[in-house]
Amino acid sequence: MYEVKKLVKKFDKVKVLKEIDLDIKEGEKIVIIGPSGSGKSTLLRCLGRLEIPTSGKIYFNNKDITKINNTHEIGMVFQSFNLFENLTVLENITLAPIKTKLLSKQEAIKKAREYLKQIKLEDKENNYPADLSGGQKQRVAIIRALMTNPKVILFDEPTSALDREMIEEVLNLMEDVAKEGMTMIVVTHELNFASNFATKIIFMDEGKILESGSPKELFNNPKTERLKEFLKG
Amino acid sequence: MNFFNNIGDSFYKSFIYDDRYLYFLEGIKNTLIIAFFAVLIGIFLGMIISLIKDYNKEKNKLKILTKICDFYVYVIRGTPVLLQLMILYYVVFKTVDIPIVLVGVLTFGLNSAAYVSEIIRSGILSIGNGQKEAAKTLGLSYFQTMRYVIFPQVLQNMLPALGNEFITLLKDTSVAGYIGIVELLKASDIVSSRTYDYFFPLIVSALIYLFFTFLLVRFMRMLERKLNHVRS
Ligand SMILES: Nc1ncnc2c1ncn2[C@@H]1O[C@H](COP(=O)(O)OP(=O)(O)OP(=O)(O)O)[C@@H](O)[C@H]1O
Ligand SMILES: [Mg+2]
Repeated sequence: MYEVKKLVKKFDKVKVLKEIDLDIKEGEKIVIIGPSGSGKSTLLRCLGRLEIPTSGKIYFNNKDITKINNTHEIGMVFQSFNLFENLTVLENITLAPIKTKLLSKQEAIKKAREYLKQIKLEDKENNYPADLSGGQKQRVAIIRALMTNPKVILFDEPTSALDREMIEEVLNLMEDVAKEGMTMIVVTHELNFASNFATKIIFMDEGKILESGSPKELFNNPKTERLKEFLKG
Repeated sequence: MNFFNNIGDSFYKSFIYDDRYLYFLEGIKNTLIIAFFAVLIGIFLGMIISLIKDYNKEKNKLKILTKICDFYVYVIRGTPVLLQLMILYYVVFKTVDIPIVLVGVLTFGLNSAAYVSEIIRSGILSIGNGQKEAAKTLGLSYFQTMRYVIFPQVLQNMLPALGNEFITLLKDTSVAGYIGIVELLKASDIVSSRTYDYFFPLIVSALIYLFFTFLLVRFMRMLERKLNHVRS
């Protein structure tokens, strides 16, 4: 699904990503971990077309990602939710599929209500984001991303802005999405979640992928000093 | 008794005699025409300028157009509106037969556009990139995002600032008298130069300006309340 070749991203003169190579197959659940500033968000934003690579290539289903125009095939969920503040919950979820003509208005509303029911927020469809708790906002953001039938969803620290008691509900929803077979790439500090959820863990440090493998391999047998330190916390 | 006689006399001279109130009506009409159409031009053109600049920032395209917009805003904000009025009247439209009120509408419209564009631009900035990025990953185009997500919020957040701009504009139309447009202040000037009595014409003009700015303030408040209601 994704082929990343020698990806370099510089901000001004600073190399934030240093020749990253990465292959991601359909259905994989990738979790990216690493210390602050190691380039996790930057990598994810490159995969989500929000940053333009300085050099190197990213192919998405064999197409050069910089040559794809508007696409709904790569969904994204952000730490700060980024719901549309001026729209109700229902409008938030249905805006994109309707305006991009993916679904008719009736179809979109029907599908949206099914999702809202699934996350038990069906009575909030006419509320504005300001009325929701953080956990509710993030769950709405996740089903908003699902509405456009993406092939992959990228999550950048989806629970970092949430209070402890709300983290669970978001992680549970992510697990439900995973069960449907969605390809997911998740940056998170929730290592317990990661070890159950991930098919593959990627450990980043200073703009490079230092180690990658199954949760067992990485958590039980870290090879590099950096990962050992990181896991100690 | 004498005092009241004088006041009555002064009032009579200023408004009734020779149908002088007609000057004031003409003044009110022109002031409102200039202010109203200038606001429309200001909003329309200001929105386009801010869109061009934001599009440039977002996509790194439209470079020349953006430079032109920057220069335009710089010049308008860096020179007095009276000077802009005189340049339009005495230079640009010197040989063109154009209704003088239209020169006023154009000047104040073009002037207001520069200020409105800055208000809208800071409004766009204050919303941040998060919602734009979310919209992009959902497949919405730049213009769809602006239209359905960003602009409605800019308008709501910037309503007080826009209201101030329109009040300023309404008052600033008073300099249009300089090139001979009979706006409200000019009307009062015409009358008092006949009667050598400044009291009533000036006070009444002031009250009329106050009345219109009062209406404008009320109108903006009503809009704010309406938009806020939608959100909560
Ligand atoms: N838009 C930007 N402009 C300049 N520098 C940036 C920009 N975005 C990120 N950086 C820098 O790039 C480096 C990597 O940042 P990035 O956000 O990818 O790290 P991260 O691994 O996600 O960290 P965290 O765990 O804190 O979120 C940091 O040093 C950061 O300061
Ligand atoms: Mg980050």
